[in-house]
Amino acid sequence: QVSVINTVDTSHEDMIHDAQMDYYGTRLATCSSDRSVKIFDVRNGGQILIADLRGHEGPVWQVAWAHPMYGNILASCSYDRKVIIWKEENGTWEKTYEYTGHDSSVNSVCWAPHDYGLILACGSSDGAISLLSYSGDGQWEVKKISNAHTIGCNAVSWAPAVVPGSLIEQPSGQKPNYIKRFASGGCDNLVKIWKEEDGQWKEEQKLEAHSDWVRDVAWAPSIGLPTSTIASCSQDGRVFIWTCDDASGNSWSPKLLHKFNDVVWHVSWSITANILAVSGGDNKVTLWKESVDGLWACISDVNKGQGGVSAVTEGQQNEQ
Amino acid sequence: DGHRPPQVVPGADPSARQLCFAWGPAEVLVCETLFGRAGGARSRCLSRSPCPSRFWGQGRAGAAAPSLTGSVSGTGEGAPNSSRVFVVRRDQDIYIQTLRKLFNESHGIFMGLQRSEEELAGKSRKAQLVQVSKNYRSVIRACMEDMHQAAVSTRDPALQGQYSTQVSILSAMELIWNLCEILFVEAAAAGPLLLRLLDWVRLHVCDVDSMVREVLSSESPSKHKLFWNVVDVFVLQGRMDEARHLLSKEASANPTSMNMYKILDDLMKKMPVPSLGNTQTLTELELKWQHWHEECQRYLQDGTFASNPHMESICKILLGDEDAILEKKELMTTWYHFLVTRLLYSHPTVKPMELRFYAQSSMDLFLGGESSPEPLDMILMAAFEFEMHQVIKECSIVLSNWWFVAHLTDLLDHCKLLQSHNLYFGSNMREFLLLEYASGLFSHHSLWQLGVDYFDHCPEFGRVYLELHIERIPLSTEQKALKVLRICEQRQMHEQVRSICKIMAMKALRNNRLGSALSWSIRAKDAAFATLISDRFLKDYCERGCFSDLDLIDNLGPSMLLSDRLTFLGKYREFHRLYGEKRFPEAARLLLTLMTAHIAPCSFWMTLLTDALPLLEQKEVIFSAEQTYELMRCLEDLTAGNPDKQKFQDDDVETTKVEMLRLALARNLARVIVKEGTVEGS
Repeated sequence: QVSVINTVDTSHEDMIHDAQMDYYGTRLATCSSDRSVKIFDVRNGGQILIADLRGHEGPVWQVAWAHPMYGNILASCSYDRKVIIWKEENGTWEKTYEYTGHDSSVNSVCWAPHDYGLILACGSSDGAISLLSYSGDGQWEVKKISNAHTIGCNAVSWAPAVVPGSLIEQPSGQKPNYIKRFASGGCDNLVKIWKEEDGQWKEEQKLEAHSDWVRDVAWAPSIGLPTSTIASCSQDGRVFIWTCDDASGNSWSPKLLHKFNDVVWHVSWSITANILAVSGGDNKVTLWKESVDGLWACISDVNKGQGGVSAVTEGQQNEQ
Repeated sequence: DGHRPPQVVPGADPSARQLCFAWGPAEVLVCETLFGRAGGARSRCLSRSPCPSRFWGQGRAGAAAPSLTGSVSGTGEGAPNSSRVFVVRRDQDIYIQTLRKLFNESHGIFMGLQRSEEELAGKSRKAQLVQVSKNYRSVIRACMEDMHQAAVSTRDPALQGQYSTQVSILSAMELIWNLCEILFVEAAAAGPLLLRLLDWVRLHVCDVDSMVREVLSSESPSKHKLFWNVVDVFVLQGRMDEARHLLSKEASANPTSMNMYKILDDLMKKMPVPSLGNTQTLTELELKWQHWHEECQRYLQDGTFASNPHMESICKILLGDEDAILEKKELMTTWYHFLVTRLLYSHPTVKPMELRFYAQSSMDLFLGGESSPEPLDMILMAAFEFEMHQVIKECSIVLSNWWFVAHLTDLLDHCKLLQSHNLYFGSNMREFLLLEYASGLFSHHSLWQLGVDYFDHCPEFGRVYLELHIERIPLSTEQKALKVLRICEQRQMHEQVRSICKIMAMKALRNNRLGSALSWSIRAKDAAFATLISDRFLKDYCERGCFSDLDLIDNLGPSMLLSDRLTFLGKYREFHRLYGEKRFPEAARLLLTLMTAHIAPCSFWMTLLTDALPLLEQKEVIFSAEQTYELMRCLEDLTAGNPDKQKFQDDDVETTKVEMLRLALARNLARVIVKEGTVEGS
């Protein structure tokens, strides 16, 4: 049973493409085809516009909040080929960095686990993936993976931070040796896993299963098990759950979650990774959970409006 | 798993558009959008014209979920101008004020159970567990009472409806729990089983209470038109004494039926029932019961009650005649009442494992094909069939909140009744449900603290779930942050401690509360941040000539060593203190050390040297010759090897300073050479 506890009227003048809560659920960031990014305070069911950020010259596709330990920082990416990082300083939001290194629409941005520092991965229609790392004093270092996906990259998602070996507390100031990884999905129908080695990013795995463009990838949060899990969805209507059992990250096996009748656009994991949300082309968001026997079951559909709902089939009961 | 129709987000525009979804830490976001991006040959360009139907499915039936069709706006203007984002919550129950007691008190019972003595074996352990079960139930009942009061006292019909619904949900929960207590926790054996079931029925079938009260309180009950109904109710519920009492009134009012009455009264008095003590074995009881049953039979067949249909029907009921009992359907109201009445009058020594057969047939007979079983009926049936997992599963589906199944399952687990069903992440059902329940609590601004304890008692994933959830608690006040920190520190959750301290440090810094920021970053053992903040302090000093937050800096202690800059800050402050206390030689020594030991950053040397000036110009010579040479060397290092030499030369103020220093140093050197060269006393 769901209930709407707040309806935020964003006053965007065009389609909203993404909406994200901050870490604590106190703020909401939205971005739209109207080229703006807006931030609202949504505590206690309220909706106060905090910022209306202008700077993009085209539809803004995604927004991503950085970890609060770095302050209030938001990244946005747009059709205008730019990635902008916004920061709240002295109570006002301002552009703190603008990256224009892509030749085509930037489709996806994702912040790395806070343990790695402040690092943003960006996937673009020019096929490249950029990694922007904050190095202090307003400076950002850029590493670029060119031709990560032919035709274009649609999504990036970081793996959770896991310290290899023992977890003894490190002396202060010293960073443990993290193995940094992230996944990307592209127009070459592939999901790829990238690993940082000696300061360079290398393609570690190529996951093939989709027969059309991969629209989104989501790496599940870690609950302490040695397995890793990635969800991917595609233009081909399929959602796959990829699992890798060993810590070295070598053998990934896909399991088909479901084949939908239409394009599947987004997949995302809940905080404890026990539920996967799938946004499809068929007006619905479905929530999935893995059951006892390893099968994925749909636990809920979230729909909006009865406009296009077809006739009731067996097993379905509409309450009025 | 379950066929549920889609849940509709009320208020969303019905014109077919897609849904964008995002997880918040507690709530979820849903907004209307249209997927399909420009930037590739295949994706559509965005335009204001209606998009092709490829992107609009018809609502798929498919795997369905329980629907929530709310009000939906009727306007379907084609323009893609829906700019609304819906914040959707999946579990409203934790926000209902009147349920607060349920969550808080059951938490106490839960904790008590986890800590309870496992060494107690056999009967005493069982008694303990039964007591725990009763405690849970009394909390449910207390909540029901509160909810009922709230329903009665509110004037808002919507609220009243809500409260009433809650009351019936709680009532159903208590009904189910009670049955589970009888069958699983207490595991009542044949004999006592029936008595318990009778109690259960009497407690929960209340629809007839007002009728009973009405008749009993009337002037002459036997004349009341509902008199016989009430007698029947008592008989059906096995309340023999009360039935007999009422009948005696009828007898005295109607002397003609005295004979019949005496016989019936006698039969009712003599009816053998199971007893709780060990006064008779089941076999003895069965024997007695058989004899009694035959006696009733004889009287019925002799036509003793023929002239009084009411009494005759009672006699038939005593004989366990199904049809006679079924005639009184409205007085029983539920099939499980029918079940217990049947058992009372046909098989009082029923064994637990035999219940399932009677239950199924009772439900079938009672519902008679006119109505179909509701979820509650299925849950109770599963209980009678001793399918514990089924009970839990059905309850999970039907109830909107995990509270019930989590606590019940935990109790059953303590009774060692649940085999470990390995779920996907290898934990058992008890833990699975507790994790779900506790996770739900974390979205609440104060109930999250209860959640912590529940996670503590989930051995496999409790800790990691706690780690993931506790990071998301908004640290709105320093107090709250400290509370969260204490919880993390108690559990050695070092990563979370560091993370929280860093967040608080950053917040303080943003609000220009440098002292607070510094102490948080020390607590976080964050050297980089400490350096940053120390720089700010020093910068402030340079600009204003004084320090803020002196207390903090003065009392840094060993944490000073966290970062070089911090150490410098502490020592520099110490220098000022020494100077203030007129302990000039010590101050001088410290100042010099700060430069020669490279504790001070180069950028600060000028300031330090400037600080040396007053010391150089004291009446008394403070710096020794050697120290003076050191100072001069520092100055030269600074001006000579400095790539900003150009800057120095251009800046008049800087040049003047350097000149002054050189002069002061030279003078000091002169004086000190003389002093050191002079023999004492001459």
